[in-house]
Amino acid sequence: MNLSIHPLILLLIFPGGLFLLSFGLLYEWVDRKLVARFQNRVGPRWFQPLADAIKLLAKEEIIPNGVHKIMFLLLPIVAITGALTAALYVPMFGFNAAFSFEGDLIVVLYLLSLMTLCIGLAGANTLSRFTIIGATRALTQMFSYEAPFLLAMLGPAIAAGTWNIGKINAFAGENIWFILAQPIGFIVAVVGLMGKLELPPFDAPEAETEIVAGALTEYSGRGLALFHLGKNVELVIGLTLVVVFYLGGIANPLEFILKSAGLFLVVTALQSLFARLRIDQTVGLWWRLGALMALLQLLAIIFGKYLGEILR
Amino acid sequence: MSIGVLLGDLLKSLFSKPVTQNYPFKKSITPDLLRGKLVYDPEKCVGCMLCIKDCPSNAIELITVDKLNKRFVMRYHADRCVYCSQCVQNCRFNCLNMSNSEWEMASTSKEAFEVYYGREEDIALLLERAAQPGIDEPPCE
Amino acid sequence: MTKPKVEKFIVPIGPQHPALKEPGNFEFTVDGEIVTDAAVRLGFVHRGIEKACETRNYIQDMYMLERVCGICSHVHATAFVLGVEKLAGVQAPPRAEAIRVLASELERIHSHLLWFGVAAHEAGFDTLFMYTWRDREVVMDILETLSGSRVHYSVNVMGGVKVDLDDKTSDQIKKGMDFLEERTEYYMKVVTTDETFLGRTRGIGTLSRERVDLLGAVGPTARASGAQRDIRVNAPYSGYKDFPVKIVTDETGDLEARFVVRLKELYESYRLIKEILEKIQPGEITTRMKRKIPAGEVISRVEAPRGELFYYIKSNGTEIPERVKIRTPSLCNWGTITDVAVGHKLADMPMLLVGIDPCFSCNDRMVEVRSGSQTSQIMNWDGLRKYGIEYYR
Repeated sequence: MNLSIHPLILLLIFPGGLFLLSFGLLYEWVDRKLVARFQNRVGPRWFQPLADAIKLLAKEEIIPNGVHKIMFLLLPIVAITGALTAALYVPMFGFNAAFSFEGDLIVVLYLLSLMTLCIGLAGANTLSRFTIIGATRALTQMFSYEAPFLLAMLGPAIAAGTWNIGKINAFAGENIWFILAQPIGFIVAVVGLMGKLELPPFDAPEAETEIVAGALTEYSGRGLALFHLGKNVELVIGLTLVVVFYLGGIANPLEFILKSAGLFLVVTALQSLFARLRIDQTVGLWWRLGALMALLQLLAIIFGKYLGEILR
Repeated sequence: MSIGVLLGDLLKSLFSKPVTQNYPFKKSITPDLLRGKLVYDPEKCVGCMLCIKDCPSNAIELITVDKLNKRFVMRYHADRCVYCSQCVQNCRFNCLNMSNSEWEMASTSKEAFEVYYGREEDIALLLERAAQPGIDEPPCE
Repeated sequence: MTKPKVEKFIVPIGPQHPALKEPGNFEFTVDGEIVTDAAVRLGFVHRGIEKACETRNYIQDMYMLERVCGICSHVHATAFVLGVEKLAGVQAPPRAEAIRVLASELERIHSHLLWFGVAAHEAGFDTLFMYTWRDREVVMDILETLSGSRVHYSVNVMGGVKVDLDDKTSDQIKKGMDFLEERTEYYMKVVTTDETFLGRTRGIGTLSRERVDLLGAVGPTARASGAQRDIRVNAPYSGYKDFPVKIVTDETGDLEARFVVRLKELYESYRLIKEILEKIQPGEITTRMKRKIPAGEVISRVEAPRGELFYYIKSNGTEIPERVKIRTPSLCNWGTITDVAVGHKLADMPMLLVGIDPCFSCNDRMVEVRSGSQTSQIMNWDGLRKYGIEYYR
């Protein structure tokens, strides 16, 4: 579906800006509630993430000694800006992307990596022992998960023959679902998504029992609230991307809700199923296995396309 | 060697009710032997003070109003008590027992934790005496 | 060629840290993720219990010593009471001893299930944490029905026990044990086959048998390396003479072995409890005991869930003990961490810490250090306070 709204409203209220932020809070609530139900608990009520965000915004922001003050204050803002901007090129909520051009897939992926980069920088900036270790782990994990994720996103792009997310969406809607045509790519994409978002079992950069809170230990008040909101928005965009590419595209809001809910259920189940992997285990596992699987999938697609050309 | 051994349990938990008890809307039945607040029956007491002797935290005080007629008032500090029930064990006349229904004793003021047990007129007499300036309390153990 | 200056990067775990449930300070020197050095500092929960014992009579002391630790409270009280009964020459009746053993084993089940949940949480496996603590509620309900309180059961009195076992409680215990046995089989399967969990526990923190003997480790930590140390088997006390246990050991000595040993001990406890419920004889539950304990010294050793618990009681003929000295099992096991830590990754440190099942509250007793060079100092209360304030300035 197409939307023609004034660009300012598009940016600030719907479907970007405020609506996206509240949708991020909704996703956080669903995530926490589902994980709680898997663990036989009740889980929080619907307004809990909103209450957390408001509480954090109301608290004093303490700037530790020895940090670069401007960077400390600016990094959360840059992080959430990157996440919100990426939303403009992705078909959110069943409507066409607000702005789209050829090659916007690459731009979106870079903007999403900006978030992780900001967390890593924030950790390195704050000179606490826990944050430095957390920053190192976050950046290491970024290296090992971004590459396979990009390769997995590349698969449907090659099959559709375009770099434009909107056109891939249309292509996926018309043809067979890519989850059936490229199953290995789907697995790589889901695992890569969980690694990017630092969801358990890949949450070594944020391991509560080893390094308190990782790179974000010294953040409080507004900075922490912005980082959390940024992470929620990244969750929304990441899930939407995987749905668009592998679960047959999104043509209207109803499809969006149903398909996202299905994928979310699978991701939450995977979250509760495993123990946390050590950082060397995550990197060791995925750098080899994940990249290999993604390359295999790409070769299969190229081969398939070549075959298709010959047979025509 | 297997991955995701918990999957069966996970799916079962998703479709069953959570085990969290919805307190305070739903309270479970307390067992009979629960050691809640101490309850004192002044009629049976002879004033032997054995309960006070072995209390680990000095939570009981027995004030003699009339020794010959065996009229005593017990001042029980619910915040000092550790609910060990040694006093119940020591008493040979069954004056003391720990309630199994009164166990929610949170309060926002300290006064709620100083409990007086005894006949009404004895307690009134004591409080009146204590309110007058310059009068010492009768000695309590 | 000059050696480059080595900068030490120390990661402190404690005194306040989400990995620890109680305060303790561990400083690990890391190089990237590999640990190169480890140091332990304790003493943050010192409460002066041994000194306080010297101003209260024996019965009050029993209740106070129960509160040294929340999870092993019954064994502390049992050790004390057994020692005092030995001094007074009194033997508690067989039914009382059986009920004491019943409470000890129930406490062991409670402690191991709690530990299992905490260990899963340290590994990042929150789902397993929630499941084991849900099953722990069954044991706590049983203990509440039996004794009246979920923690600090207070079943002991001088000369016996104060609660008795009736049929309804007996049935509830049997049903609880059957349920828990099924769940423990499931957990055993998880611990030994789940790949992610094994990645955190297999081959980590391996302690050889020689090191265990050298460092003097006790409890399941030592038994996981093959040492045959269990007071219930080596020197049976109280009801264990009538209801013997089998010792549970494992050969590997790594973290996985410690998990397996504790889970197998759970099976032993279930079997023992069912046996007690079947074979217990009706009878008295307490005997008379004088309040004044004759002079003498006694040593009392019992098997707490964490290892060997050691009590020394000295009496001088009055109602008030002269000296009570406690040596808790966790104190023996700290040495194993610093020994094994070097070479492992930082992420393994919380798992190693939890592998010995640390109980900091039990630990902080006073140790007298005699140094040849320095003369000893005696400070009174004000001096001590002043010293403490100025140390941090």
